[in-house]
Amino acid sequence: MFSWLERNPFFFAVGVFIVIAFAGLIEIVPDFAQQSRPVAGAKPYTLLQLAGRQVYIKESCNACHSQLIRPFKSETDRYGMYSLNGEYAYDRPFLWGSKRTGPDLHRVGNYRTSDWHANHFWDPPAIVPGSIMPAYRHLYKNVTDLETAYAEALTVKKVFNVPYDKDIDGDGKVDVPLGTFEQAKKQALQDALKVAEETKRKDLVDMVKQGKIPEVVALIAYLNRLK
Amino acid sequence: MNWLSDNVNRLALLGAAAILIIVIGVAAKYFKQIKEGKSEGVLKEETWDGIGEYKNNSPIGWSLAFMGTIIWGAWYWLVGYPLNAYSQIGEYNEEVAAYNAKFESKWANPSKEDLLGMGEGVFLVQCSPCHGIDATGIEGKAQDLTHRLLKNEVLSVIQKGSGALGNPNGQFGYPLGMMPPGLLSGADAEAVAEYVANGFKGNDKGAQLFQSTCASCHGPDGRGQNGMAPNLREYDDAIIKHVLEHGKHGIIGHMPSFKGRLTPVQEKAVATYIRSLKEGA
Ligand code: HEC
Ligand code: HEC
Ligand code: HEC
Repeated sequence: MFSWLERNPFFFAVGVFIVIAFAGLIEIVPDFAQQSRPVAGAKPYTLLQLAGRQVYIKESCNACHSQLIRPFKSETDRYGMYSLNGEYAYDRPFLWGSKRTGPDLHRVGNYRTSDWHANHFWDPPAIVPGSIMPAYRHLYKNVTDLETAYAEALTVKKVFNVPYDKDIDGDGKVDVPLGTFEQAKKQALQDALKVAEETKRKDLVDMVKQGKIPEVVALIAYLNRLK
Repeated sequence: MNWLSDNVNRLALLGAAAILIIVIGVAAKYFKQIKEGKSEGVLKEETWDGIGEYKNNSPIGWSLAFMGTIIWGAWYWLVGYPLNAYSQIGEYNEEVAAYNAKFESKWANPSKEDLLGMGEGVFLVQCSPCHGIDATGIEGKAQDLTHRLLKNEVLSVIQKGSGALGNPNGQFGYPLGMMPPGLLSGADAEAVAEYVANGFKGNDKGAQLFQSTCASCHGPDGRGQNGMAPNLREYDDAIIKHVLEHGKHGIIGHMPSFKGRLTPVQEKAVATYIRSLKEGA
């Protein structure tokens, strides 16, 4: 029997693959399937947060900031609880980053606020003396691209079954509504107005009232959600 | 031939010659065996594409290692791994527990200097991004911690009660719970606010109104009756502890909660540091 295998390199290769992959299959796959489930209570990003995430990616914030708190005391002292796999369940792609020119941002929503961010993105060294983070003033004028964010949300809802328009925590209410583009946009404008008011900047509030969400507002909504 | 007088060199030369001779000898032996040798072994029945193999006993060293591996495998599977599994989180938990124990025993009775030093460190890392390195609040972006309360802050609290701190039902978790809105209004409110913001000095009207309206909760001296209500004169340990736990949503902005992020000693230390900023002035 084995001499037959040795004369057929293709099936030999398949056999070798199965033998080697077997241990991985039974050890890695079940554990991975378990651990990559969303942690209890995790909710998908709202449209505004998703749009902010796209701004974050577009501006390459991940080149200087990580989003992964490792289980070391020095890190949890500074940033809070270490990160869990299931917290990234709705991140496509995840933004772990690999370089910390600036601090980790995975729980920045716990200890920075909307007005803080609005002051900081405008002029980082004014808030943190000596900061080498660049200012992002163009974000205060650029209008958020809600269409693309909606397309992303709808895609992950349809393709990956991300629970938009569903009751996740079992309290009988829809947790993260998406609906049609018009409904989603209306919700995003409402959320944006709240954030804009928290920033205490009249120019941002005015823009949102005119139906245009400045990119910085979406970005702040996203950062506030990182907890 | 000076270098031959050195023992090490002579030894090295001898070694090199020995290696050369052995290599030539061994090579010659095998060449001879390939040319003339006849096999004495017994062939196995199986052949692979016509190529056969001798029946040989496995080498003793190899067999021992093989059995050793089996025994080790059984031990690892049944005892070694289940009882000693490494976990990063486990190591982290141990690290934290050990650190906390050390921290607590080291700072069980901190002196004032210890607290000041620790407080400055905590403040610079955790608080200065909002309150500024000099604690004056970065031009109104957060509370000026070198000063207790501003007039318009007190005014808004008189007007809106606990609502001005973020939650109408009481925010900081003092035993007296919430502060009701609208205790005073108009010029009366102005006078009290000025009196409080001024550090309880001057302004007789304010002083009187404070005694009649506010002292029942905040105490006649405004120090909050040992933690029943906020101390309005200075940042005592209690207000820092309560604000850090609950955060604050006032007229200046939003102070996030720091629940669980500082140990009680660190909270005390940062409070001591904040008070020292005022004492110097
Ligand atoms: C050149 C590298 C660089 C880039 C690019 C960068 N940052 Fe930063 N960031 C820093 C540094 C350095 C700090 C620390 C100093 C400071 O707080 O300003 C920082 C601080 C921050 C903080 C405060 C974190 C804290 O814990 O105090 C936030 C929030 C932040 N950055 C968000 C962003 C976002 C969002 C972007 C993309 C729009 C971005 N950064 C792009 C370098 C960078
Ligand atoms: C019924 C008791 C009560 C009375 C009367 C009262 N307060 Fe208060 N006050 C409180 C409590 C309790 C808090 C904390 C509120 C909270 O936790 O939400 C507070 C909070 C405050 C604060 C906020 C302190 C801070 O650090 O932010 C100020 C300022 C204040 N009171 C001023 C006054 C003044 C001025 C008066 C008199 C006009 C007054 N209070 C009367 C119970 C009272
Ligand atoms: C994200 C920004 C931010 C950080 C970080 C922050 N604070 Fe604050 N803090 C504020 C703001 C804003 C206020 C003013 C809130 C108001 O009254 O509107 C405030 C108010 C306060 C007050 C006044 C509370 C009162 O009413 O009596 C104290 C005390 C205080 N902070 C202490 C601290 C300490 C200690 C730290 C560090 C451990 C810290 N804060 C970190 C933003 C911050």
